[in-house]
Amino acid sequence: MSAEGARYPSTADRVLAAARRLWPVVLLLTLWEVAGLMNWVAGGALPSPSEIAYRYWLDWGDYPRHIRATLIASGAGFLIGNAIAVAAGLMFVLVPVTGRIARGLNIAIFALPPIAIAPILALTLEGMAPRVVLATLGVYFVTMQATVTGLQQFDSRAGDLVRAYGGGDAAVMRFVQIRGAIPAILSGFRVAAPNAVLGAILAEFGGGGRWGLGTYLLGSLGRGDPARLWGIGLTATAISGLSYAVFAILSARMLGRTRAVNLNPAAPPSEARQPLNIPVMAASIALPFVLWWVTLWALQAPRMIGKTPWDVIEYLFFSAQSAQAQERLIAALMQTLPITLAGMAAGMAFAFALAVSSRLTPGFTRAFLPVALVTQTMPLVALTPLLVLILGRGTAVTLWITISVTFFPAYVMIAQGLAQVPRAALELPRAYGATAWRELRLVAIPASAPWAMAAVRLTAPRALLGVMIAEWLATGRGLGNLLNQSRGYMDFNMIWTVALASVLIAVAFYQLALWIERLIMIRMGGG
Amino acid sequence: MTAPARIDLDHLSKTFRSRGQVVEALRDVSLHCPAGSFTALIGPSGCGKSTILRTALGLESLDAGSVTIGDMGPEKATRGGLTGVAFQDAALLPWRTVAQNVALPLEVLGRPVAPEAGRIRALIELVGLKGREDALPGELSGGMRQRVAIARALVTEPRILFLDEPFGALDQILRRQMNFELQRIWAETKVTALLVTHGIDEAVFLADRVAVMQAGPGRIVEVVDVPFARPRAPELFSDDTFHHLCDHIAGVLHGGAHVG
Repeated sequence: MSAEGARYPSTADRVLAAARRLWPVVLLLTLWEVAGLMNWVAGGALPSPSEIAYRYWLDWGDYPRHIRATLIASGAGFLIGNAIAVAAGLMFVLVPVTGRIARGLNIAIFALPPIAIAPILALTLEGMAPRVVLATLGVYFVTMQATVTGLQQFDSRAGDLVRAYGGGDAAVMRFVQIRGAIPAILSGFRVAAPNAVLGAILAEFGGGGRWGLGTYLLGSLGRGDPARLWGIGLTATAISGLSYAVFAILSARMLGRTRAVNLNPAAPPSEARQPLNIPVMAASIALPFVLWWVTLWALQAPRMIGKTPWDVIEYLFFSAQSAQAQERLIAALMQTLPITLAGMAAGMAFAFALAVSSRLTPGFTRAFLPVALVTQTMPLVALTPLLVLILGRGTAVTLWITISVTFFPAYVMIAQGLAQVPRAALELPRAYGATAWRELRLVAIPASAPWAMAAVRLTAPRALLGVMIAEWLATGRGLGNLLNQSRGYMDFNMIWTVALASVLIAVAFYQLALWIERLIMIRMGGG
Repeated sequence: MTAPARIDLDHLSKTFRSRGQVVEALRDVSLHCPAGSFTALIGPSGCGKSTILRTALGLESLDAGSVTIGDMGPEKATRGGLTGVAFQDAALLPWRTVAQNVALPLEVLGRPVAPEAGRIRALIELVGLKGREDALPGELSGGMRQRVAIARALVTEPRILFLDEPFGALDQILRRQMNFELQRIWAETKVTALLVTHGIDEAVFLADRVAVMQAGPGRIVEVVDVPFARPRAPELFSDDTFHHLCDHIAGVLHGGAHVG
């Protein structure tokens, strides 16, 4: 710090700067307060912040026990899920063939809508177990993927150096890869923490029990008290946001100055192309089903409740009820799929438009993003009832949920894709007098296309989950409703069938998007 | 310091296959570096000069030919700690301090680090980083990081030092300065040095002999002796005979483009 060095900002300067950054939030809160007090939105479906706070104060006696139950379940799931995920990630990197065999299982775990298996877990397990399992499943994929990426993206020169002193794979792992993967693993924990909360709440929701925010939410749905639903929703959001923040701070503390000097160039997180290996592929597809069978057998679930893969096939194709079952399933799918696809398309289009225009209007984007971030932190299951309050029980609510689920990740990824294009390349067409549309066609669309497909791949399962929650809670249509009904009628065959169908659909979405992403990458000369 | 060792590269040949194309990286390359000598390998990019160095370190296999370091093969020599290496990228581990980074080869070789603490400090002083032992790589400039890499290459008391464009990423001014310091370090440690570079003046300033390579297939076309007395002062860079020698090497490099 030299004497004539930078002037320290005074307190007044800092307050002013903070005010400038906070004014959109203040404006929004004021608007919300007024709109709530005047009952502008859907006849009082949007209560004002002060009304929510008052209700919160009245309900305060209930909250601690509900929060505690949710925290215990999500905390246990977080610990177990991450332990398994890090161990699995290590194994997949050390013995790559295990990674290829487990691929089917990994994608299934990533894609499965938790709500689809919540009833099954509630039937086959007892006490806190279903909640912990669902939280574990929510955590596993994110951390596993982060571990694998972290271990694989090491500095190859540092690896060469260790080998140049006679070190083998084990030495490279020990000196370079493990420590190098810690930032990636920590960022995995950060994303996984809110997932654990969502998983626990969903299980509480679908599985009964006395305490837990999900149970509280379910019990409050019928009372038609918007202020309480908002209170629960905001509490869930706060827990989920705090769990993210704890790990964000922790990783910033731990990493601090040890950040790598040379950053790895980012690329769409696509999987490397593997040569076709039929036995490995067959094993990869078979593994989830084998695991399904083994789990049922290990749990000693009664045959009436625990259906094997074969039971489901028999029910759907070779039994007296087959025709009727098929009809119900297809009718549900015809209601669920079109709306999911339409919502995702709209969300993607919106994200693309914003990403392109945000290069022109960065100020608007900066003010808008924090709001979008809050909606992302809010657990879907808490968000849905609020949207139902505001939008009613029609198609609009399903559509909006899908859009909100798709939009944000897609926006982030597309903006990332655009940021990879050097400024000069973006400006080159304009230097030759190209129109805005031509500029878009020449640069922005090709630059962001693979990223957009990656976004589709990553958001499709969440979109399906959002639609199913809305159907279960509000619209009474489609797969979500079929699942809820079957649960009410104790129609175990149909519960398992819907669960399997929704997982297969999510996996199909994932594979399709991956396939298109690769086609684009190959055409663009990457891949 | 232990006595320097010879490097003998005999009839090295290597082809790479990628996407159905066959690239002949090395064809019948032989090079002999006497103990205590400083040899530079120079050539256009893709002529296989780094491949030579990687095969000498056992990082790459050969189709034909043999590498002898001292009196052993490359795997045994590297595992025995005979060799030190610095790459174009400093390749420091960002979470280790300067001293810990310098100690890394000892740990890989499974040697105890604690008894060497004094020598590690002396090496850091040798490369001009006294007082920065506990700094992290992110807090150092590019030139400082490269010096840490040189200190690290010397920590095993190697009998042979391999340098793969160690100053390739530095600017011209810093590079001259580092060339001068490398000469001093080499003179103090008396190791056999093999430097891969694409800087003609760097090669001539540092080396006793410059082996000039051409690409397609990679081969050594001429070995030029450098007669200047040591220690060589920075003024040498503006000397006429120095320029003549550089021009000659440039001619060999350039001529090859038409002949080969």
